[in-house]
Amino acid sequence: MEVFDKIVFGDNQFFGINHMSQEKAQQLAEQFYDINNIYSVYESAFKAGVNGIMLNSNERAIDICNHFRSNPDKYGHINWYPSIPYPHKYVNLIAEKGVLPAINSILFKENSAKGILGMMAQGGAAIITKDVISMMKMLVDMEMKMFKGLNVKVVFLQNIVTDLILGFGIKEIFQEYCKHIKKKYNATPGLITQNMPELRSKLIEWGIEEVVICSSFNKIGYLMSPDLQSYIDAAKANDSSKYQLWAMSTLASGAIPPKEAYGFINNQNIQTVVFGASSSKHIEQTVSLIDLK
Amino acid sequence: MIKVGIIGAGRMGITHYSIINSNPNIEIVAVADPSALTTVILEKYLKILTFKDYKKMLQKVKLDALLVCTPPFLNVEILEEAAKLGLHVFCEKPFTLKPNDAKMLADLFESKNLVNQIGYVNRFNDVFIKVKELIDANVIGKLIRFKTEMYSRTITQPDDGAGWRSTHANGGGALYEMGTHSIDLINYILGKPDKVTGSVLTNVYSKHVEDIVSTTLVYDNGLAGTLYVNWSDDSYRKPTNKIEFFGEEGKILADQHGFKIYLKKENKELSYRVGWNTFYITDIFKTVPFYVRGNEFTSQLYHFVDSIEKNKKSTMCSFRDGYNTLSIVEDIFNDSNKK
Repeated sequence: MEVFDKIVFGDNQFFGINHMSQEKAQQLAEQFYDINNIYSVYESAFKAGVNGIMLNSNERAIDICNHFRSNPDKYGHINWYPSIPYPHKYVNLIAEKGVLPAINSILFKENSAKGILGMMAQGGAAIITKDVISMMKMLVDMEMKMFKGLNVKVVFLQNIVTDLILGFGIKEIFQEYCKHIKKKYNATPGLITQNMPELRSKLIEWGIEEVVICSSFNKIGYLMSPDLQSYIDAAKANDSSKYQLWAMSTLASGAIPPKEAYGFINNQNIQTVVFGASSSKHIEQTVSLIDLK
Repeated sequence: MIKVGIIGAGRMGITHYSIINSNPNIEIVAVADPSALTTVILEKYLKILTFKDYKKMLQKVKLDALLVCTPPFLNVEILEEAAKLGLHVFCEKPFTLKPNDAKMLADLFESKNLVNQIGYVNRFNDVFIKVKELIDANVIGKLIRFKTEMYSRTITQPDDGAGWRSTHANGGGALYEMGTHSIDLINYILGKPDKVTGSVLTNVYSKHVEDIVSTTLVYDNGLAGTLYVNWSDDSYRKPTNKIEFFGEEGKILADQHGFKIYLKKENKELSYRVGWNTFYITDIFKTVPFYVRGNEFTSQLYHFVDSIEKNKKSTMCSFRDGYNTLSIVEDIFNDSNKK
């Protein structure tokens, strides 16, 4: 399968996300309230040699995509690794309206199609069964709109979705997602997970190959289920021509000092590191420490 | 193998399905939900038995345990039926709307020795567990004051007054939905308060229910604290619980992600210094076998399975605990109605 950037610049820091501390998350949200501060951090990353961006499809990502799209001479070389969907949009809608009306309102609003409730009224449950897959594709396409025209290499499904479906164990949804990403976006399907060993072994069992698996991977086993050792073993056993393993949360939200963190990561069978940082000093330091085999 | 049925395949039902399905000692055999989306998918791809009416499911399928993820106003009937059939039950919070019903159900399940658990997930958060340990060990001395708060951006626009969550009769409003989490957390750490006073419920966007709750919780021994719950606070990306304890020897501030402890004197045993000591979830987390929505969601369901297997009499969050929370809820409603 295709080989990608060894270092990819992530986005959590821009959107007030910090798994360790809500206070830090708030500070970051303040720092990046002005979108120009986001762009200047990206510039520092490019200066440090980063050429890949992972970006979640939230509302602010629309402006970020527009910014980079509007200057193809300067930014055309950048590889894009979108992650979809923006989960909180759905979580809040679902909390307010329920699962079905939430999906309906999203599809209806953005596609001016009949939406899922219309489909139900027309053909009842039978239609839904047939169209669960096309409904999923519609949702993917909607989230992907903002990335149009950018050089998209891998399209990642967010861990909340991946792990939910993994828990159910529905092979067909993964199969169809992967097919759709390859066919429609000419890109490699990616799955973000907090259960990497389990996901990898299921994909092998189901015969779904050429997938990028992105997961937390750090020395202290933070956000790594079932445990650190299973991750190390799964990575060791992995054939990177079938599954590329990407590591995120390598610093465990700052709990591990960078030197120590990458001393560990550099010795694992990992193909790419996704990291986020909010100052040029930290970006340069991290880039200099990452030295994958 | 424990045979599990699920009633209600909304957001929580779906999440719990995905998590508990990873436990090697259980088998999900049937799901009941009136809406077609999830049940049709389950039937088609996983060959799970599905029912529109939960009564049919309980009649036709032999189960050992039940996950009840329906709106609370439906639960009394469901849970009575489950007890009759001798099923162990995990029920989503707030469990019922009236404390009388909750007490009746707690009595019923206890008398039949059935495992009963409520989904107050904060009891399984590693930070809050640690804070309870510290309070129990008297690390900040005699407690004098506390705060319990919950914030989210659940309702941030005027609502149309439709939907199952928009009336108290259906279990809607910030007090049933979120306040119960804040109350339960205090019940868990300090025990049930003796008195409620100064309650104010305020509508901001909702038509028929409160969006903000404030009250004071008082214990007979003089300990007192405030509860503040706001589900219309746009500044919070995720639902957040905060607690604070002030004692004679120091204080503790905590949320789901970490805690700070301020001490007047060094604690050698715990290696806490004088002044502030900060700990993050990354310092104290325990990994879980399968992760969907946070470690605590997995821990609580594995605890349920474990309790069934070991025939434990009580769980970390029992129907009795659910009753205690609902009786405070009722006190707050009554107190706020006093002129």
